Amino acid sequence: MTLFITQLHKELVSCVGWTTADELYSCSEDHQILKWNLLTNETTLVVRLPEDIYPVDLHWFPKTAGGKKQNQSEIFVLTSTDGKLHLASKLGRIEKSVEAHKGAVLAGRWNFDGTALITAGEDGQIKIWSKSGMLRSTLASQGSPVYSVAWGPDSDRILYTSGRQLVIKPLQPSAKVTQWKAHDGLVLKVDWNSVNDLILSGGEDCKYKVWDSFGRLLYSSSSHDYPITSLSWAPDGEVFSVGSFNTLRLCDKTGWSYALEKPNTGSVFSLAWSADGTQLAGACGNGHVIFAHVVEQHWEWKNFMITLTKRRTMQVRNVMNDAVDMLEFRDRVIKASLAYGHLVVATSLQCYVYKNWNTPLIFDLKEGTVSLILQAEKHFLLVDGAGLYIFSYEGRFISSPKFPGMRPDILNAQGVSLSNDIVAIRDKSDEKVVFLFDTLTGKALGDGKPLTHKLEVVEVALDQCGPSTKRKIALIDKNRDLHLTSVRHLGRDPKICKIGSMVHNMVWNDTANILCGVQDSQLTVWYYPSVVFVDKDLLPKTLYIKDGSEFNRTPRILSFVGTKVTLRQGDGSLIYSSVLPYPALLHEYSTSARWEDALRLCRFAKARHLPISLYVLLSVPMKTLLFLHIVFLPRVQYINYIKERPSKESSLAHMLLFSGQVQEAEATLLQAGLTYQAIQVNIDLFNWERALELAVKHKTHVDTVLAYRQKFLEKFGRKETNKRFLQYAEGVEVDWEKIQGKIESELSKEREKAGNTSVRSSAASRR
Amino acid sequence: ENILHYTDTIQPSPRVAMAKDPLAEAGFYFDELNKLRVLEPDVSQKTSELKEECKEFVDKIVQFQNIVGGLIELVDELAKEAETEKMKAIGARNLLKSVAKQREAQQQQLQALIAEKKMQLERYRIEYEALSKVESEQNEFIDQFILQK
Repeated sequence: MTLFITQLHKELVSCVGWTTADELYSCSEDHQILKWNLLTNETTLVVRLPEDIYPVDLHWFPKTAGGKKQNQSEIFVLTSTDGKLHLASKLGRIEKSVEAHKGAVLAGRWNFDGTALITAGEDGQIKIWSKSGMLRSTLASQGSPVYSVAWGPDSDRILYTSGRQLVIKPLQPSAKVTQWKAHDGLVLKVDWNSVNDLILSGGEDCKYKVWDSFGRLLYSSSSHDYPITSLSWAPDGEVFSVGSFNTLRLCDKTGWSYALEKPNTGSVFSLAWSADGTQLAGACGNGHVIFAHVVEQHWEWKNFMITLTKRRTMQVRNVMNDAVDMLEFRDRVIKASLAYGHLVVATSLQCYVYKNWNTPLIFDLKEGTVSLILQAEKHFLLVDGAGLYIFSYEGRFISSPKFPGMRPDILNAQGVSLSNDIVAIRDKSDEKVVFLFDTLTGKALGDGKPLTHKLEVVEVALDQCGPSTKRKIALIDKNRDLHLTSVRHLGRDPKICKIGSMVHNMVWNDTANILCGVQDSQLTVWYYPSVVFVDKDLLPKTLYIKDGSEFNRTPRILSFVGTKVTLRQGDGSLIYSSVLPYPALLHEYSTSARWEDALRLCRFAKARHLPISLYVLLSVPMKTLLFLHIVFLPRVQYINYIKERPSKESSLAHMLLFSGQVQEAEATLLQAGLTYQAIQVNIDLFNWERALELAVKHKTHVDTVLAYRQKFLEKFGRKETNKRFLQYAEGVEVDWEKIQGKIESELSKEREKAGNTSVRSSAASRR
Repeated sequence: ENILHYTDTIQPSPRVAMAKDPLAEAGFYFDELNKLRVLEPDVSQKTSELKEECKEFVDKIVQFQNIVGGLIELVDELAKEAETEKMKAIGARNLLKSVAKQREAQQQQLQALIAEKKMQLERYRIEYEALSKVESEQNEFIDQFILQK
């Protein structure tokens, strides 16, 4: 963080607010409103307020709202100690003044779409106003002053202070109010970020705390020397700033502190981030206005380490040979991302793509404030306030997926995932829904129906390798369960399989479809997560679990490149963990169909999970071999049984049965005209009703079904209670010899048919 | 004392009264230059002497006044100087007191900054340890790999 401090006000500065990324308005008790232009370093007096107006809070009308109607976005709300609320234009002309509260109006905030304004006063009341300053309602009333107020992410709830407590109150009158004790002293400031849905509070007990929106404490700072007088989330929700007497702090969203500055400013009464999140302004008690820039950010990928040394300069260091390159940019760097051998840098006007460090590819950006960059092997994705854009590394625009009700301004890395062929975006209005788009066309995938999970989805991640048809998506839901499902599911409802619980976050490997996650406090690696679709009993055997005792508090995975997992602990320290290179090699062999090499690798490495991974990747005959290796006798026997099936269809059906897809197996058999086999499958699964239904429908083997049913009931010493069976049992006589004969003839018929049509082949050749 | 002495001699002498000069009775006298005078020559002489002495006295008084004036000025100056010195001393004393406080504040600030740096150091230490561990793991792996071949 670099700082510069300037004084032009004669009295305490009470509030600041950004209009653009380079223009700030500040209000002071000397009744002046000043405009600071950071590009030209000029400061001009906007207006001198009447002597009786002492400003308290200032908030600009949100930029994203009503983007077309430019004139409306150029107003701000100013509250003052005389209990009034003023709507003022950019030129400083006060358009409207309203008597709002008794005593000072301590806070005034627009909601995110600019349709409502909320004020909080010393009289303990909270009032909602229309855009034009008409009183809509008094939302709350309490005995003590409300020092600070903030809107919830969807503008449907507000958060305010009540003495030592924090209160979340939905706008709907009947909805439940959440209230909890937050600090040991008065709570002075709160803020609520719309991207990460986290709450910040600071108070007279000299602490700042981070909460989730259910009021659970995530972080509490140690006690400072002076009360916390201001705090503010950066727009992207990655960092926040905290102000106190002669103190300015920059913290990570998990609470730990990146930087501390002790400028000579007096108390910092108000903090505001510019919309692009690179600059911070503070209103200081001794008449100063303080500006801060965030620098010294790091990006690492393989052997490259990049540091933002100045606002427009990056240093690239190749740790293999200590070569250093400097990258210069025309404008301020807003966001950057380094992965897959490419560095993507978004400045306020342009986007730079580096492959080597000499000649970047540069193209202009439509809107300046890029809030998120995601990279895949072949292309990358930019998110700004207006939308989501996919570009190739050659700088060619590829597509811009969108869906109705999309809020690009609050998309974060947890809610969006990019792979070479597919983009997944979690819906914000209904968090159970994940939209899937084709990267190349930007159109919704398949029939256009989004993926719907049974619970709210917290995090999505697409795997990065392998053919597009086998693309998988991993989801973490609200219960912290990790699920895996196939992205392309031909018409049918997708099969969502749970592969882990208590998973805090997860990252796919960049070179193989290996998933790594923080589970409870341990690091878990799913070497072959897709095994769950074949046989979920095998899943635990393909896991690699690293004991969490070496991690303090819940770590967060930052990247999983090659065999290196990078994690950030709760206290902000980076730790690394390496996984064995074998599974990745195995994945590589299987994609290039080098089975012999793969098998040799398995024998060589002698790791238990490897054969299982290979088993999943391989075709059936190879599987037998491997199964002997890992001793799963029942499965081997079943595979042998499958191989002995008289026809191809029958093998295929049993293969499907083997992986638990009963309906598909039955459909395959029926399609091939193997009615008896279909019935038998249902009998074997004790699926009596279905067996009978099929038999009756095809007018064959009704007696077989009844015979097996009878045998089953006798074995368990129970009586028939099912009405349908009773009904059919009346007209049919069970003769075991006859039934055996019929079965034999069915089987021989199948054998004959198979012999006529094709040579017996492996059922899994299709797989 | 001088003044008292002169007033004594102003009384008419007994000798003059005894002479009973008719001129003198009429109130006329001759002086040394034989000029007619209405004032006794003794008195006249004494008067002029008095006059002289008075002049001398006045001169001395003026001189005295000058000297005293200079003294007062000097003392005033001294007082002024003493006052400024006193103010300076008070200021210095206050400054000293506030410096102690300032130092305390500075110390507090520096300590906060040190604590911050210490935390950063601890983070780096943990990172270093993690990296060392990865290194040893990788070395072990390489050794194993070579052995198995």
